[in-house]
This record gives sequence, structure tokens and C-alpha cells, in this order.
Amino acid sequence: MTAVTVSSRFTQNRASARRVVRSILSSKSATVGFGLVILQIILAIFAPVLTPYNPTTNDAMSALADPSGAHLLGADALGRDILTRTLYGGQYALTVSFAATVITVALGSLIAGIAAFRGGIVDEVITRVLDSILAIPAILSLLVIVTVFGSGQWVIVFAAVVVYTGGVTRVVRAAILDVLSKDFITAARARGEGMFSILLREVFPNVLDVILVEFAMRASWIVLLISSLSFLGFGANPPTPDWGLMVAENRNLMAIAPLSTVAPIVALATLIVGLNLAADGLAKSFGIDRMKEVLG
Amino acid sequence: MTLLIARRVALSVVTVLLATVLVFTAIQLLPGDAATQILGQNATPDAVATLRGQLGLDQPAIARFFSWLGGALHGDFGTSLVSHQSVGAEVGRALVNTSLLAVITIVVGITLALVLGMVAGLLRDKWPDVAISTIALVGMSVPEFVVATVLVLLFSITIPFFPAVVVAGQNATIAELLPSVTLPAVALIFVLSAYIIRMMRTSVIDVSDSEFVRTAVLKGNSLGRIVFKHILPSAMLPTLNVIAMNVAWLVGGVVVVESIFNYPGIGTLMIQSVQTRDLPVILLITVLSAVVFVVCNLLADLISIALNPRLRHSRSAR
Amino acid sequence: MDRLLDTVKGHQLSRRNVIFGAALGVIVPTLLAGCSTGGGGATTNAIGAPRTGTAAKGGILRIARPPASKAETLDPASSLSAYEYLGALYNRLVKLSTSGSLLPDLAASWQQTPDAMTWTFTLRSDVSWHDGKPFTSADVVYTMQHILDPATASPQAGVLSPFLTGSSISAPTATTVVFALSSPNAEFASLLAGYNCYIIPAGSAATIGASGIGTGPFSLTSFTAAGPGAVARNESYFGDKPMLDSIEFSSIADTQARVNALLAGQVDFIAQTNLDFASAKLVTASTTVTVSTIKNAQWYPVPMLNSSAEFSNPLVRQALAHAYNPTEVLQLSVQNYGTVAKNNPVPPTEAYYLDYGLDYDPDKSKSLLKQAGMDSFTSDIYTSTYDPVLTPLALALKGSMAPSNITLNVVNASADSYYTDVWMKKPLMATYWYTGRPIDQLLNQIFRSGSSYNETAYSNPTFDQTLDAARATVDDAKRKTLYQDAQKILIDDGGSLTPFFSDRLVGLSKKIVNYDEHGFEFDYLKIGFEAV
Repeated sequence: MTAVTVSSRFTQNRASARRVVRSILSSKSATVGFGLVILQIILAIFAPVLTPYNPTTNDAMSALADPSGAHLLGADALGRDILTRTLYGGQYALTVSFAATVITVALGSLIAGIAAFRGGIVDEVITRVLDSILAIPAILSLLVIVTVFGSGQWVIVFAAVVVYTGGVTRVVRAAILDVLSKDFITAARARGEGMFSILLREVFPNVLDVILVEFAMRASWIVLLISSLSFLGFGANPPTPDWGLMVAENRNLMAIAPLSTVAPIVALATLIVGLNLAADGLAKSFGIDRMKEVLG
Repeated sequence: MTLLIARRVALSVVTVLLATVLVFTAIQLLPGDAATQILGQNATPDAVATLRGQLGLDQPAIARFFSWLGGALHGDFGTSLVSHQSVGAEVGRALVNTSLLAVITIVVGITLALVLGMVAGLLRDKWPDVAISTIALVGMSVPEFVVATVLVLLFSITIPFFPAVVVAGQNATIAELLPSVTLPAVALIFVLSAYIIRMMRTSVIDVSDSEFVRTAVLKGNSLGRIVFKHILPSAMLPTLNVIAMNVAWLVGGVVVVESIFNYPGIGTLMIQSVQTRDLPVILLITVLSAVVFVVCNLLADLISIALNPRLRHSRSAR
Repeated sequence: MDRLLDTVKGHQLSRRNVIFGAALGVIVPTLLAGCSTGGGGATTNAIGAPRTGTAAKGGILRIARPPASKAETLDPASSLSAYEYLGALYNRLVKLSTSGSLLPDLAASWQQTPDAMTWTFTLRSDVSWHDGKPFTSADVVYTMQHILDPATASPQAGVLSPFLTGSSISAPTATTVVFALSSPNAEFASLLAGYNCYIIPAGSAATIGASGIGTGPFSLTSFTAAGPGAVARNESYFGDKPMLDSIEFSSIADTQARVNALLAGQVDFIAQTNLDFASAKLVTASTTVTVSTIKNAQWYPVPMLNSSAEFSNPLVRQALAHAYNPTEVLQLSVQNYGTVAKNNPVPPTEAYYLDYGLDYDPDKSKSLLKQAGMDSFTSDIYTSTYDPVLTPLALALKGSMAPSNITLNVVNASADSYYTDVWMKKPLMATYWYTGRPIDQLLNQIFRSGSSYNETAYSNPTFDQTLDAARATVDDAKRKTLYQDAQKILIDDGGSLTPFFSDRLVGLSKKIVNYDEHGFEFDYLKIGFEAV
């Protein structure tokens, strides 16, 4: 992070929402990214209107039905309409990944704020602990968490928080350290303001851009994580119409009824592409090098 | 500089130690232990108690951890609770197998990704860039289990060219494994390269727009010279971190792919060991992956520092 | 970047079309040739009984099996035995035919006293171990004592120990073994056909797990726990010699990976796990491999834990037994590859089978709930990826019971602790058993008060007494009636929620002929590669 970008960020202190929107609309890729995400949200919300079927009702007569007028993408082994399950799957993917991302990013930012603000031994301990969590293979942490707590959506949220909070903290902490050296922070400290007051009123608004980019980026990773977990047999309880679970359930049908796996994969991939492009767009409009922010 | 490196190394050791403590504690939280898992459906209270005694699981957890740590510091990682073989030997065999897969993936994947990323960056918005960027975006968006499943379907079953699974098991020789490595390596390379390609492309674009490259162009340097003398070294720098992260990711990412191909590596061993609560094996795998993680990060940082003295100050703040 | 995006959508779709187009181009035509329809209903054309024919002498059979645990052993008595090896390496005193009658194996003949208390087995004298030593009655006594030894923790000990102790087994001559029971059991000989009862050499308890020295048609070449291994034809086998030269085993953990290995021609046959029905469709589409059915090889009960608050009331258990449509559940869970069981856990092929059960009757179910003081009933039902049929079964029951005011919430539990944390602990779960165990073992081991595999915690003194009476009855017809009485008691009491028996779908190479299995046992003698 060079001095130039930092100071330019401060001169535009508390970037207005309108400016961000304008900046996003000016980039076609960002527009498409947000467009894809919004489209997914709309499809998920209107799923009950768009399809006459229930995503979890079995129908022995339609088991493994080929695509037809009645079942546009066919039906799975329990006779459930694949298109319906894919549409409803968005509700699950979006709510769970949104909840997980909000908690991960909020918690990561808060920890980052405390670590950066307190500095010294507090910072050192927090950094060490989070680093050591990052050093454990994510899949091992996930296996342990799902084995201890069983399956279900809150376990997934918890798992995502454990695996990704450390990374968020790393990035946000670095951004906050830059802010903390500024005069207005010194002034606020001199006024005797408390840590949380300074963090909330002075620090976070100035790293909001970094946090927003983190949000879009982590959201795409969490969507992938949830589907991988479902694939491994953890995650959503059947008959939840979850994309990862659908892939796992229908994986062995891939060669004979490809749409049963292709539909959820396409839904999943479009959401992730959308989130990635949205993150790119946000980062560009804020003047942040996203790759460096996320992985550095 | 020496002090900085010494400090980083010391902190890395702390990180590895802390990771093993966390994993040890977490395994204690798991329902059941090696005794109940081995006995399974036949886990009557008497049988479990007898087996616990035989395995030393009746000792308090803290005592077991320190006795493990004491051994580990002398290079003795104990014996597996399930197979009763030396953990070092068992994990070692799996590690050799995984290393074969990982080295091929890393060498081919990173080379390919750097080349593709550079081509995309240099030919920005032309068709090769569009094609490469699209592939990278797909690689980032499609889970590795999908890639692996499709590869098996295509190149083992539809066109029976590569083996679908490894049948030779844990003691397979390198020669036996080699034909089976191709498909898992391709699946891993596809996912691994995606981020590196994108990072390399962005860096190349940034560097090409920079003052000193423009100056070099104005000076009339040849294209090859500009690319290899000016753009490549500068663009490599920010890419290093991404490479480090991805190599560390490979340790975990390999699990799913190994499972699909029945590849007798660390990932397969890790899943089995968690299932059987085989603590000594899990701990050694944790130590190894944590070491890979910190070494990758350390190397990336040190190379960055070596290549770019300006970073010395800001990096040391971490 | 702008153009990139437009192409992202287009390219991604076209890439998929290419991939699946290529795959489908090869697979679908063959599939359509083999199956009558893809739209609902069973596709039985390509799936049937195993192929029979003339096998050529020789060949190496490659078998893929699930790896079990790294603690697995070749000790047949152990609960961790690597069971695909057992039938190749060892023999028992007696074995069961498909219809449940007893056939001689190492024992040439056997007699019981009229009170069914003392059993005398006369052994073959022409049998030798793989290491060349002769087989004698001392080996049999040793094996039985090893099974009954609490340190072995053999599952069969629970079946035999109520009426048999190690010290009551004697060997008056080198070819005679006498069992003196402590209570009468007219079915005793059938209990020695259990898969834990393979005979091992005297004094071998400590070494048998790795040495695998038996009397069987194959001798051990190599064995790795949870890994590869091999056996080779035993040229001095006392019975008919096997057709195969050798068998190679490999361990493949992931179910789909096992199927892939078969489809790719890396193995000839998948042991132990049922092919799930989608994989079976995939296999039938192949030109080199095929699927064979073993009729009613498994049953899939949903044990209602009698000791739980939910199911302590028999009325509730009966309500559940009447609440689902077994035809629909059979279709959805296993695509009709099986037989409706009407809640009787005894397979229809069993000689002592009673053709009786609780039928689908939602109105009766509702009135039973009313009698129990409930308008509706809700419970969790546990499932796992442990077996591919469990989750479809739970979902099918959930859907089918809903109109009877019964709500089941499906909970997916971790497969690795399914049989330690869920089985016999949660009120309602899906599980399975292999058929092919003798009737006395089935009813006593799974439903008798306090028995080790009593997964419903079922406890009914009348039922237990009926089983005792059956054991003490030497007259075959009378004994059959008593075992049938026991079945009726169990069913009427809501002791079993057993929707169906499932056929086992075995994937094997089209080159293989004369594959046969029953219960836990393969026929390793006749199986071979088709003579050209």
C-alpha cells in the first residue's frame, strides 16, 4: 500500500454510496457481477411463484424422469423436480452464505480493530492464534467441527467463521494499521475517546472499502465451502434443496441424467462468478488491489 | 535483517506448536475415541474399557499430550492407535505419494499459470486474454470435485486412457503411481492455476503501465528484453504471495481429489485418521501441514524482502 | 474485461455442452439399448441374476472392496475380520444353503441327543492346513474356545455363550467333537454356520490375524489391513478345486471411486457394498460390465427404540408400522429392486417364514395415535451416507407418513460415528442387515431382551419364552410353528419397522460367470472367467 493511495482514500473520507454505485455502473464487469447476484436473489425469492412443485415432496411416479414439459430439467431419484430444487437452492445458499459472511467479516474486522488498536502483546497473541488456525488444513478443521456439532446450517455458518475469520483479520488489520497512524486518530485519543468509540466512529468508516471487498470475496469462497461440505456428506440435512447436497446426491447420475448435477453446478458457478466480478468491481472503484488485499 | 529473519522463524515455530495444541484439544472434543471407533458396532462398555487400557487412552489428556510432545521433539511421533505401526513411517509413505502429486501439480501448474497469466496480461482484451481469463474464472468458480468427476467420466470411462483410481494402495511404488497421477494432477492444476493466472495478469498489466517500462519502450529495447528484464521480475513479486497461499492450500485441497481417485496420500490418511480418532497420525499431519504453511509464507516474505528493499519496513510491522 | 464477461456466460455453457455431449454420445446410446425407459419405473432389462456358463480354468479375479479399518484382521472370530478373505481361506464345520438348510463342510456328519443338549460332530479326516499340518478335532475345540473367550470380543460369543462354555467342548477322538450345552437348542448346528465360526489352527490366536492359515480353497499370498492383498489356489484343497488361479483384493474407500474402477476395467468385481441404484444404471450402460441381483440379500429396518420416550408405547409403534405405503417406499428407496416386508424382518425365502405383517392403513394409524392420546406425532429420523439407501429410505418414509399426521425430520449424521452414536441410541434411524443368518440367530440376536444387537431395545418376556420353547423343541414342524408364533408376537407388538427386503446389486465384469453369494459368503469355487 503506497502513500498515494492511502492519502487519496482519506481525502474522500466516507465515500458516498452514490459515488460507489456510479463507479460500479461505469464498469461493465462489475455491473454484470452485481447483476448476476441480484438475479440469483430475485430467482430465490420468487421461486414459489416460478414453479408449481414443492422442492421436498417425493413423487414415486416421476422418479428419474427425463426432461419434459412437466419437468423441464427432469426429476431426481425421489421424483423431485430438479429445476424447482435448483431455484429453491438459491434461498438456502444465499441465506446461509450471507449469514456466514456477515459474521465472518464482522468478527474478523472487530478482532482486527482490537489487535491493531491495542497493539503489543494483545496484537501478538491474536495474530499468533489466528495464524495457527490458518496453519491447520481447513478440511481438518471442517471435519472436526462437523463431527462434533453434527450437520445443519448453523454448523456450516460456524465452520465458515472458524476457517475464514483469520484471513479477514489479517487483511483488515493491515488496513487499520495505516489508518491508526493518522492525525485524526491521535486527536481522538487525545480527546480521551475509548477504543470502541474510536474504532466505530473513526477507524471502520475509513476501512469500509477494504471490508466491503473482503465481504464480496469471502462470500464467494463461503458458497464454495458450503457446497464442498455438502458434497462430503456434511452440511445441509436432506431433503434441503442445497446445491452441494444436490451435486452429492446426483453425482452418480452425472453420466445418465447430467442435468441433475449440471443445474446446481451452473447455479453455484454463476453465483460465485457474480460475487467475484462484484468484488473486482468494488475493488477497482475503491482503488484497492484486491488480490494483494485478500491474499497478502 | 538477520534479526528480522530470526524473529520470523521463532514466531513460525510458535505457530506450529499452537496449531498442534488446537488440534489436540479439538480431537478431545470429538464424540468417541479410537477405542469406540475401532470396535464400531461391537463397542460394548467392557470391550471399550479393555481396548482403552491397551491403547493408553485411560491416561489424562494433558499427560498424553506432553508425552507425545516429548517424543515428537526427539523425532518419535509414536505409534498409530489403529494399525500399531510407527506413525512416522505411515505418514512418511503417504507424504511421499502426496509429494509426487503435489510436485507435479506445483511445477506444471505454476509454470503454466505464470505463462498464461503473462500472455493474458500482455495481450490484454485480445482473444487469448479473454480465453485464458474465462478459464481462470471457471477454475475459481467450479469446485474441484466437479472437475475431478468430469475428468474421470471423460478420460477413464468414456475414453479409457487413464486409470480411474489407484488400486495399488499405501505401499504403491512410484512407477505404479505415475500413470494414475495424471488426472488428479490435472484437476488440481485447474483449480490451483486460476488465482495465480489472475494475479499474474493483473500484475503484468500494472507493471506494463508503469513509468519504467514505458521508459524502456521509449529507449527502443526489444520486446523480449522488456518482457524478461523488466516486466517479469516486477510482476512476479506480488504473485509470490498468491503462489505461497495456493501451495499451502494444496495440502487441504488435495483431500477431496485424493478421495475421488483413491490416491494413497496424506488427504486419504487424514480422513481415515479423523474417522478412527487416530490422534498421533492426525497430530503429525497437522505438524507437517503447519510447517508447509509457515515455510511458504516465510519464503514468500523473505523473497519479497530480498527483491524489494522498500518492503523491509512495512513488513516488519506484522 | 468487458468482453471477457460476455464470453464467460457463453463459453461456460458451451464448454459444458461439449463435455457432457462427449460423454453422453458414448454412454447414452448403450444405455437406451439396455434400458426400456428413463422416465420412472424400474429398468429391469439389463439387471438380473448373475450369468452362468462354463468357466475356464485359471485367471486372476480382481476385487475392489471398502477398506474397513486399519485395525482389520484375518481372524474370523473378530468383529474386524476382512470378510471377503474368509470364505477363500477357511472352512466352517457346517454351512448354510440358500434355503437355510445345513450342509456339511469340515464336519462330515453330526447328531444331537433327543433333548437337544449334546451335539456330536464327526470331522473329515482328509483335510490339511495351508502349512501342511493335518486338521484335527483339537483345532475345532481351540477355535470355539477362542470365539467364546471374552478377550476376543467376538460378535458370535453373544449368540453362543448363553448355552455354551469353552470347557464343555471336548474332543474324544481326532475326528470327533462333542458340545455339551447348558440348555437345549435344536438349532445349535445352524449357529456354527455364522461367518465368525470359520475354523483356525490350534494355538494360532496371536498369529492368525496376519497369517491367514486355513483349510480353504485358497491360501494367503499377501494381506495389508485396509490395503491390497492376494490369495492363490490351494492345490491340495479337500473339496472341488476352484476355477481361478488367484484373487487380488484392493481397497477403495469412496463408493463412486469403486464404481469408476469397475467401469474403467481396473477391477472385475465390487464386493460388500450394494451398488446404489443410480450407479447400477450407469453400470448397465457399459459394454464391459454388468449388474447382477442377489434377491432379498439385505433388509432395511428403521428401528424404533423402545426405551425412548417416543416409542415406549406399543400403540405409537404400531401406528408407525401402519403409516407408510410400502410400495411407494420400495420404489423411491431402491427403485423396486426388492420385496415389500410388511414389517416382518424374516425374509420370505427363509424356511420358517410366516406370511404375515402389518399393512398400509393410514386410518388405522391415525386411530392408533388417538388411542395413545395423540393427534399427531413428530420425531427426528437419523440417516447417514454410510449406505446409499439410508437417506432415500428416510426421505421416502417422511413423505409417505406425512398424510398419517406423522412428521419425520431427517437428520444426517456423520458416517464415521453412525454406529457408535446413533445406532441403539437415537429413537429412530435407518439401518440395514444382511439376510442369510439362521432364524434362531436372527430372532435371538436382534430382538431378544438384552441381546447385544437388540437395536430396538425390544423386551417382551412372552417373545423370549417362545424362542426358548422353540429351541427346546426337537420336532421340526412344531419348532417351525413356534418360530412363526414368535414372528407374529414381534410384528403385532410393533417390534419392527421393516419396509422392505432389498436386492443386492453387484457390479461385475461381463467376462465373469457363476458368481454366487449368500449372506456373508461368496462361492469362490465355481466363479471364473467365461471359457471362450
